[in-house]
Amino acid sequence: MKPRAAWHPWAMLAPTLALLVVFFIVPIGVAAYESLFSWDLLTAPRYVGLDNYRALVARGELLDVALRTLGYSALVVGGAMSSGLGLALALDRPGRLFAFIRASVFSAYVISWVAVALLWMWMLDGDDGLVSRLLRVAGASSSPLLGDPRWALPVLAVIAAWKLTGYAMVVFLAGLQGIPRALLEAAALDGARAWARFRNVTWPLLKPTAAFVATTLLATSFQAFDVVRITTQGGPAHSTELFVYAIYEQIFLDLRVGRASALSVVFFGLLFSLATLQLRAWRARASMRHAA
Amino acid sequence: MPRDASPRARIDWGRRAPAALASIAACVAGGVWLIPYGWMIVTSFKTLPDLVARPLSPLPRPFDPGAYREVLSAMPVARYMATTIVMAGAIAAAQIALALPAGYALAKLRFRGRRLAFGVVLACLLVPAQATFVPVFLLFARLRWIDTMTSLVLPFAASALGTFLVRQALLSVPDEIVEAARMDGASEWTIVYRVVGPIVRPTLVSLLLVSFVFHYNDYFWPLVMTTDDAVRTLPLGVALLREQGSGVRWHIVMAGNAVLSLPVLALFALAQKHLTRSVSGGTLT
Amino acid sequence: MSARHPRTSTPCARDALREFGAGVSSERRALEPPLAARRTLEPPLAARRDLLRAGAALSFTSLACGPRGRAIREDGRIVVPFWYALGDLVRKVLLDLVAQFNASQARIVVRPVHQGDYFEALAKLRTAIAAGVAPALSHVVLEVLPYLARAGVLEPLDGYDGAAALPLVPGLSQEGAFDSSTRRPLWGLPFNRSTPIAVLDGTLIEQERIAVPSTWDELAAVARRLTRRESGQVRWGFEVPISWWYWVAMVGQAGGRLVDDRGQMTLGGEAGEQALAFWQRLVREQKVMRPPPGRDYQAWQSTSESFLRRRVAMMWTSTALLRYLEESAPFPVVAAPLPRKLRWSVPTGGTMFVLLRGAPEEEKIAAWEFVRWMCATDQAIAWSTRTGYLPVTRPAVERLREGGWYGAHPNDRVAYDQLEHVDPWPWVPELFRVERDAVEPRLEDAVLTGRDAHETMTEARQQARRTA
Repeated sequence: MKPRAAWHPWAMLAPTLALLVVFFIVPIGVAAYESLFSWDLLTAPRYVGLDNYRALVARGELLDVALRTLGYSALVVGGAMSSGLGLALALDRPGRLFAFIRASVFSAYVISWVAVALLWMWMLDGDDGLVSRLLRVAGASSSPLLGDPRWALPVLAVIAAWKLTGYAMVVFLAGLQGIPRALLEAAALDGARAWARFRNVTWPLLKPTAAFVATTLLATSFQAFDVVRITTQGGPAHSTELFVYAIYEQIFLDLRVGRASALSVVFFGLLFSLATLQLRAWRARASMRHAA
Repeated sequence: MPRDASPRARIDWGRRAPAALASIAACVAGGVWLIPYGWMIVTSFKTLPDLVARPLSPLPRPFDPGAYREVLSAMPVARYMATTIVMAGAIAAAQIALALPAGYALAKLRFRGRRLAFGVVLACLLVPAQATFVPVFLLFARLRWIDTMTSLVLPFAASALGTFLVRQALLSVPDEIVEAARMDGASEWTIVYRVVGPIVRPTLVSLLLVSFVFHYNDYFWPLVMTTDDAVRTLPLGVALLREQGSGVRWHIVMAGNAVLSLPVLALFALAQKHLTRSVSGGTLT
Repeated sequence: MSARHPRTSTPCARDALREFGAGVSSERRALEPPLAARRTLEPPLAARRDLLRAGAALSFTSLACGPRGRAIREDGRIVVPFWYALGDLVRKVLLDLVAQFNASQARIVVRPVHQGDYFEALAKLRTAIAAGVAPALSHVVLEVLPYLARAGVLEPLDGYDGAAALPLVPGLSQEGAFDSSTRRPLWGLPFNRSTPIAVLDGTLIEQERIAVPSTWDELAAVARRLTRRESGQVRWGFEVPISWWYWVAMVGQAGGRLVDDRGQMTLGGEAGEQALAFWQRLVREQKVMRPPPGRDYQAWQSTSESFLRRRVAMMWTSTALLRYLEESAPFPVVAAPLPRKLRWSVPTGGTMFVLLRGAPEEEKIAAWEFVRWMCATDQAIAWSTRTGYLPVTRPAVERLREGGWYGAHPNDRVAYDQLEHVDPWPWVPELFRVERDAVEPRLEDAVLTGRDAHETMTEARQQARRTA
């Protein structure tokens, strides 16, 4: 429709656009600019061109961080999606008990990362942690997992998956609702067993939802920070230094603004690509719902 | 294909195996997701000697809320919580207040530059706070706005996601409603907030809830934007409980955890259906 | 005194609000003057102030405009924001002393704000300085003092009232803590000063009839004797946080120096490698030393906890934790000096009070008064005896000695006696970066993964030279 006055739409959009531009678009440009300097906030900045990027690449820092973050994300997505899907399928039943369990699983998603991280730190405490003790009883190693460079990152991934399973489950549940009962009933009448029904009816129709969940979880875990900062602060021996934590360390602990900006620029680039995937998956899911 | 719109009726799977599996899954899930909570609460009611001597006992002996008292004396919980709630509330409120007219303009009005404006919104969907915090921190530092509520709220007052979702929701609202309101002589302002707003209330409520919860829980942004404890938020305060010098007092940390999670869990209990639907996008498309 | 930056004369909204405001902070409650002196704090007034301060915190118009111009006042008293990084027992003692100071006079109120551990607090301090919201008073580890001094963010203290006359213990003052080949302005006063010490489980060493080790070899032998493995549980003979401070101690003990005569970063040369290799042997080969998890001060906490739970028989820690350990251990705690290899050597540790240059004039003067008060004999004694940190002034040490304190508390003597063997830090602005970037992460890495000590330290040296 035509607006009543030409300035109306701009008036409605102005605050939003202004804020978005100032706080999202401009900073990326500024980060790109500042990545060309070496600056510690307390003294004057020094122009260094692409040195920051070179330093990041030369020492393998950039590759290490990127691979670590991708590995972590892959674990989280895989873990959260499979348990989310499994739980969605298993708990999609009536009754107060199931509703309560579903709510409990989802509640982990709702509370803060701080709470989740601290709770798991306690449970994984080398000496007195509940989980550590259980693992020891089950015969696993006795050294504290979060202190072991080989296990710290997977453990963080498990913690993240614990929190995010609720999200995956809820989205899958909504997706399951969108599957026409008639199809499933027909399959059942034809004698198909549970697994066959899942494979031939449920899963194909659930694919857009799965893609959506996967890309959302991927983006979320790529931005992981809180859990690292609270549990391991990037250690032991850099094994849990994920992207955002690395940027944080560079600027707040090492006061290297240029280096931090360079990392931010690369991070944004990677995230941009991930997010385009997410958007596409979202659109696909939305159009599927409209089609159904 | 007709979609089953009735409350979730059950298909008779007719097999005992899946039902048994489901019960097992339910027990396992219940254990994995509830035991940690229980453990958190149990730990928070233990005393330090009891914790040191019997860290794994499921019952605190004696049952002592002292840890909570320690938390209250270690930090101004009420002030931190108030700060956090006000901050999250302000952000959520600002977001819906701004998303509505913006989404309306993008969905309903035709004007030059609409594509560009929508492009900006879309572009911002792809930019997370973690990528922008360095320059924004420096900007606020230059303006001397570090340690103020402004630095916590302003960057999030406009929500690209919210604008996008409101636009989506409004696309399916028939133009006639707006035209009718216009003929009735209503101002654009009224149309946006009084006529169209209520129609997309579910979307707005979802946005409000999700945004509030997200920003209440936010640790990263307040960590980066504040140094003093004037506008310290509760997640930061609780995280600081861990940073002690000589011996982590887990019972105190767990008590802090419980205090931190309480408002969100309460909100969740009250608005569970809404929150779940908001997250799963049930009402959003 | 040095020149100040120009100040605005218009108070900002935030300052104005804060001039009325008072905190609901429970910390502040702890600092409120005792009943007798509570003339000025009537309940309705206090409640109103609480509200206003809470309002200030929540206010959106809290715009700080311009550098911090005016000192904040509460009840006509100047407020000195004091950012500290101490936890638990030590923190309680500090807050007590601050409350005492606040109650003892009516012109100044010190407002302590907890900022996490040393490194977190330092990060926040530096960013706050850059953002123009730095407090007047804080305390920083010795290694970072040269860096901050060079960056020009610290207030030189020479000109302040009574600075030259403070009877500081030589090893603990700035002059004694750093190599003093050049005359420098006074940037910091000792606050919580310490040396590393060895701490042993008294019951165990009596049972096993063990003499406290005085050389590296003896240490390894004792650790072996005290390590026990039964039913999947280990009691380790020795534990020490894999960190810079203890490594520096060992470098000195092995006869090395961090910086050579020409000012080059050698990181102890061979001595540096020997120190690292020693740890590696104890952890990986002989398996008598427990590698603690976590970084920075997490490692310290974990070490203390293991010791208290008797999972570890002997550890190296700071004299700072002495009181805490003595009070919390269900067994007698025996402190001992660190062993030697070629010579005795320890670095000093802890922090120095610093005043930030960017703070308002009045706040700095008020902060100085507090610091000087803390260095007075009574307070120096109170601080030291209640925590285990070293007493910072000579009169304090004298009085303790005369009063028989050291006779009754032999553990406290250990750190003080070690002052004889202190190796001062080099005054190198990059020292802090070398510690954090070049050395510390590599130490941890090498011990956990067994990487060759020579290779590790060579790399560290290269990186240190690049930084310096």
